[in-house]
Amino acid sequence: MAQRDARFNQTVLVDTTPMPDHIPKVEEIGATSAPLMSAAYFIGDRCKVFNDDFMKCKAEANGRGEIDCLKEGRKVTRCAASVIKDINTHCFDQFKAHWECLENNNHQLWECRRPEVQLNNCVFDKLGLKKTLPGAPENQVPVHLRPKQKYAQYPGPQW
Amino acid sequence: MGVPFEALLPYGIIMTMFGVTGYGLHYVKRFANDGKKARWNQDLWDRQMMERDQRITGSFRGQSSNHKAPTGFEVSNPWKIENRIY
Repeated sequence: MAQRDARFNQTVLVDTTPMPDHIPKVEEIGATSAPLMSAAYFIGDRCKVFNDDFMKCKAEANGRGEIDCLKEGRKVTRCAASVIKDINTHCFDQFKAHWECLENNNHQLWECRRPEVQLNNCVFDKLGLKKTLPGAPENQVPVHLRPKQKYAQYPGPQW
Repeated sequence: MGVPFEALLPYGIIMTMFGVTGYGLHYVKRFANDGKKARWNQDLWDRQMMERDQRITGSFRGQSSNHKAPTGFEVSNPWKIENRIY
């Protein structure tokens, strides 16, 4: 066929058949996009080993990762859910302030540094999880610790 | 020999009408986004996360920080389907 006609894949199929019983169940995460964005660095801090394990498994599974790495995937889900649960228990107000700010600002982290600093302090005090930027240059202040954010709507120091 | 005030009336009308469209668009967008600022510059990841938000909260802009998904979430994942081409 010399040309392929445009085809729209806008129809969806929702298959409500549950997973077969021989596959162990895991509770899916109920946090939506903004809270996940807000908690992402803390999830990365606590769950780094599980996440790396899962990615290694998928890389070594030769395209069968969805089937072969279910066990590692369940660990990833449980670990992330534990972080969300802990943050909700101990730092609910700061967490809520931060993800509501993110949701109102197109999920751009540099608009919400003030609630983010408060959330980071609370999470570090209560849970011991620290936000670090992987691969950031060593000799500079990481971008989330600079008071002035270059692209933010508010040009002055945010805290 | 000043400018007669009738010459300035159209400018008043023009400014009012630009204001009507601007504020109207602002409120319509807010209404469509559950009272929040509209998202912009979304990529495929953002759009599919918003579809996931809708599966959890029932609204594209709804947010929830529960660690447990609501009942039935694990089987409500849609498959994107496409007509066969052969």
